[in-house]
Amino acid sequence: MTRSFWSLALMLLLTGLCLPQSSTTYVTADIRRVGDRLACKCGSCNNTVATCQMLECHYSSPARQKIGELQKAGSSDQAIVDNFVKEVGLAALAAPPAQGFNLLGWVMPFVALLLGFAGILVYFKRFRKRAVRAESEPAPAIDEKYRTRIEQEMAEMD
Amino acid sequence: MENLGALAIVLAFCFSVYAILASLAGKWKSKPFLIVSAERAVYSVFLLLTTAVAVLLYALIAGDYRLAYVAQHSNRAMPWMYKFAAWWGGQAGSLLLWAWLLSLYSTIIVFQNRRKYRDIMPWATSILMVVEGFFLLLIGFVVSPFEVLMQGKGIVDVGDGQGLNPLLQYWTMVIHPPILYLGYVGFAVPFAFAMGSLITRRKDDDWIHTTRRWSLVTWFFQSGGIILGAGWAYAVLGWGGYWGWDPVENASLLPWLTSTAFLHSVMMQEKKGMMKVWNMVLVSATFWLCIFGTTLTRTGLVNSVHAFAQSSIGHYFFTFLAVGIAATIYLILDRLDYLKTESRLEAVLSRESSFMFNNLVLVASCFSVLWGTLFPVISEAITGEKISVDAPFFNKVNIPIGLFLLLLTGVGPLIAWRRSSWDSLRRAFMWPTVGALALVAGLFATGVHHVYALMSFALCLFVVLTIGMEFVKGANAIRNRTGQNFAAATIELTHRNTRRYGGYIVHIAIVIMFIGFTGKAFDKDITAPVATGQSFHLAGYDMKVRDIQQGENDNYVWSRATVDLYTGGNLVKTLEPERRGYKASRQPTSEVAIWRRLNEDVYLNFAGSEGSKAVIQAYVFPLVSWIWIGFWVLTLGTLVCLIPPKQKLVRTVEPPPAKARPAVQEAQLTR
Repeated sequence: MTRSFWSLALMLLLTGLCLPQSSTTYVTADIRRVGDRLACKCGSCNNTVATCQMLECHYSSPARQKIGELQKAGSSDQAIVDNFVKEVGLAALAAPPAQGFNLLGWVMPFVALLLGFAGILVYFKRFRKRAVRAESEPAPAIDEKYRTRIEQEMAEMD
Repeated sequence: MENLGALAIVLAFCFSVYAILASLAGKWKSKPFLIVSAERAVYSVFLLLTTAVAVLLYALIAGDYRLAYVAQHSNRAMPWMYKFAAWWGGQAGSLLLWAWLLSLYSTIIVFQNRRKYRDIMPWATSILMVVEGFFLLLIGFVVSPFEVLMQGKGIVDVGDGQGLNPLLQYWTMVIHPPILYLGYVGFAVPFAFAMGSLITRRKDDDWIHTTRRWSLVTWFFQSGGIILGAGWAYAVLGWGGYWGWDPVENASLLPWLTSTAFLHSVMMQEKKGMMKVWNMVLVSATFWLCIFGTTLTRTGLVNSVHAFAQSSIGHYFFTFLAVGIAATIYLILDRLDYLKTESRLEAVLSRESSFMFNNLVLVASCFSVLWGTLFPVISEAITGEKISVDAPFFNKVNIPIGLFLLLLTGVGPLIAWRRSSWDSLRRAFMWPTVGALALVAGLFATGVHHVYALMSFALCLFVVLTIGMEFVKGANAIRNRTGQNFAAATIELTHRNTRRYGGYIVHIAIVIMFIGFTGKAFDKDITAPVATGQSFHLAGYDMKVRDIQQGENDNYVWSRATVDLYTGGNLVKTLEPERRGYKASRQPTSEVAIWRRLNEDVYLNFAGSEGSKAVIQAYVFPLVSWIWIGFWVLTLGTLVCLIPPKQKLVRTVEPPPAKARPAVQEAQLTR
């Protein structure tokens, strides 16, 4: 009897655990627009506040609620984002701002790509120069020496 | 039993050290018996590690809860296959998997080459055993899987364990980590041969011929591991994401990108004797990126949902990486004279240059992923402020690079080796270009205005048409000559050059995956709290909750919603998403219900409840099934590449033009 009681109690407890009870803040188009610029800082995903789909996420759910409240109060998108940055720091942003040192984060991949292109073009250019030089340069002396010897030998054969 | 397992690991460590010393001494003193002895030590390492694995598996399946590892990652209620999977569910066990797979690979390599490549083999064996010894050092002396739970001086049996993380209790998780590790570990073999070739100052390409198939199979395992991980995330995490740019996901992508570049550039070395230094760099980068990826999951360098619990092994990994990379760079620089190219590029418009661009884009993509993964650490170290680099950054940077790579996938194969003319390119690309532009116009007219999606679809069609034309032209030529039907002629064509046409099939697989990725631009979702009997609407579907049931078994309690899907008033499908609460870990998980179709998946997640209402997260994911189909096509293409061709690859190193020869001779004389 006691064992059955505890089994039932455990089952109810776990059922409660797997069925969260409190309210959810759903993502409207307005919330999504701002939430896409903010990182979910729950620590278990790399999503944005808009795309984190974990129900009752301890970060994104209140963040969405706050975005909705600030929008109702008439705040602009940028003002809401600034508000999050003020509270959480730059880590609140889903991607680093393209300014100061963090600009490097954005430009480096493309700089690397361009440098690679430049490297290949330099390779091509060097090759083409080498080919042109090979065609335009006068025949080296060593050829002349061989040619003279061949002519001599041909003459001897005659 | 645990003493047997621990002893086996310590002995395996000793044998790996012996194998290194005996190989080197045998090579140095020209004593073949020492080299053979080292090879037998390699076999012994494998046997000892197999013993250790058997002991750990026995402990997991029999439930020996005196062992800390068993108590932390297994429990009595788990089905046996998840008990088996608990082998790699934790830090020590996964390191044991790494070491065991490497010992298996080393054994195969040593056995296969017991009469071949006798000058390279001692070095390759030593390098493999250095890597093996490093992992055995960790599991033998730092994080042993055979530690027992102690209280005072007594051993404690806790009776039952905490169980495997419920998110890992899914069938793909039983095969995803081993397959991914088969890829990670496998890249050690081409690396070992490459270094062996450098150390022995060989100018030939033997290391490439020996490891070509190995590289391809390893690359396939790496691809399979990544796709299985994506499939697991899609089906288990409850929000339909298959790639989140998590640092650990990125870590698996990095070696895949460099190894893909290697598989392309290696053809330049085989066919033209070019890019020898570059191939050394790529094969080395691939191996060290595998070690870096393993480091990333275990050291807490960056935050990740996939990371193992942090431990003291980070210093060991960083030291191993630093010393290993420094030694590799030194070796490559020191042996540059042995890596000189055998022929020159003849024209900018050639297959050779397309390979260079392909390699550039793949390596640039690898750099951008690595840069984005590490940038939070770099930025914090320099500015002192934490930043986030999440999916939006990676998408903005990598989508354009990925589309460019897709374009090269179509362009590259149609450009001739040595030299191509604009006229032949115009003929080859005219109809694919027309088809792609027509598709863009058609899609735009039907309301698709997403720029990247339009570009992606257009490029997908472009690549399919260019590759399709290659097959059709080749098959028609054979058909005209032999009278075979088209299907037989296509098979004959593929069999004549399996590597080329298998490669085309792999390219088609990548295109198919891109179609699936592009569908992401059109996802739709809704989160609806609904009572039994109520309905909600999403993307043309009416969804009605018919019933909600509850129950339990030994492992978990569950709640299941029965949801009927209607289109146009007709019942088309019934889905049953489930919510589970695992008893041992007290952790909830979702068992999503997915209606998979070629055009779109309907994906339901029983996310929880609000009072008497069930909260259902419903999604429609267009085209996502094409990602998984792409993987099967990739498998087919890889298998075709592995079939021996009817025609052998012949190196076509062209002598320089007659007029250029004297200048080249002179350059060599004056160098």
